[in-house]
Amino acid sequence: MQDHTTEQELKDRLSLIESMIAEGRRNTESWGWTFVLWGVAYYLAMAWSAWGHSASAWPVTILIAVVVTVIGACLKAGNHPATTLGRATGAVWIALGISMFLLFLALGLSGRLTDQHLFAAVISAILGMANGASALILRWKVQFACAVVWWAAAVASCFGTDAQSTIVFLVAIFLCQIAFGIYGAIAEAQERKRRVPIHA
Amino acid sequence: MPELPELNPVVHGRLRLALLSLLSGVEEAEFTWLRAKTEATDGNLGAQLLKLEEAGYVGVEKKFVLRKPQTVYRITEAGRRALIEYVQALNQLLGPAMDAESALHKERS
Repeated sequence: MQDHTTEQELKDRLSLIESMIAEGRRNTESWGWTFVLWGVAYYLAMAWSAWGHSASAWPVTILIAVVVTVIGACLKAGNHPATTLGRATGAVWIALGISMFLLFLALGLSGRLTDQHLFAAVISAILGMANGASALILRWKVQFACAVVWWAAAVASCFGTDAQSTIVFLVAIFLCQIAFGIYGAIAEAQERKRRVPIHA
Repeated sequence: MPELPELNPVVHGRLRLALLSLLSGVEEAEFTWLRAKTEATDGNLGAQLLKLEEAGYVGVEKKFVLRKPQTVYRITEAGRRALIEYVQALNQLLGPAMDAESALHKERS
């Protein structure tokens, strides 16, 4: 039992146990696409609302994005482990989705979505809260950096001019939704590639 | 010479060890997820899970979700205990080797 080969094999087993436990705890679903989807949705809604002057731009875009997200989530739902971390993170994003959907649908339909600064500040603060909570649960520094960007955008929206507020919001969307979403998807794909088969 | 601990043969199988370790980190997992993580074949995975189930180390639940059959596995208390004892036995077996290795590293540095 104590010869070199056996020792090496036993060490391999210990490292197999460690890697499998870590694998189980890792969030296996790639949600990068949802960040990109919502980033694009915000851009579309802003463009539609600015050039189309339509009060329904935000509610309709948000509604479509919600439907696409729900369909995507249902398609992915059949292949996952249940973990406390996963449920906690999921709860944060589901609560964010419901809050944003109800708030902006109601604001859009009531015609009270008129203050651009307040609008950008509220969206940024809510997204900062969700990213911050998720980052603290997952101990994910990159996502915490996104939360900081959103919080900064929320504050900047209150003090800057219209143009400054819009630019800050557009930059935050690009960094924290599109760039972060692509980064998440690439990281997940690389992780999948690294896995090796285990046989009995 | 001190008596060396026995390694539990049910846990010792490489795939069974991977399965128990995976299940120890989650509340429950589907067959498809376990297959993706271990990259084992359906037959091999099913056979190893059955051995773990027969030993009382994993519990299995078969259900229908949106009319699709779904098999969910979770580690039992006995399974968790067996895995912990297995890790303790491994550490005990490797103890002298690891001590010698770290002493060698210290000597070299």
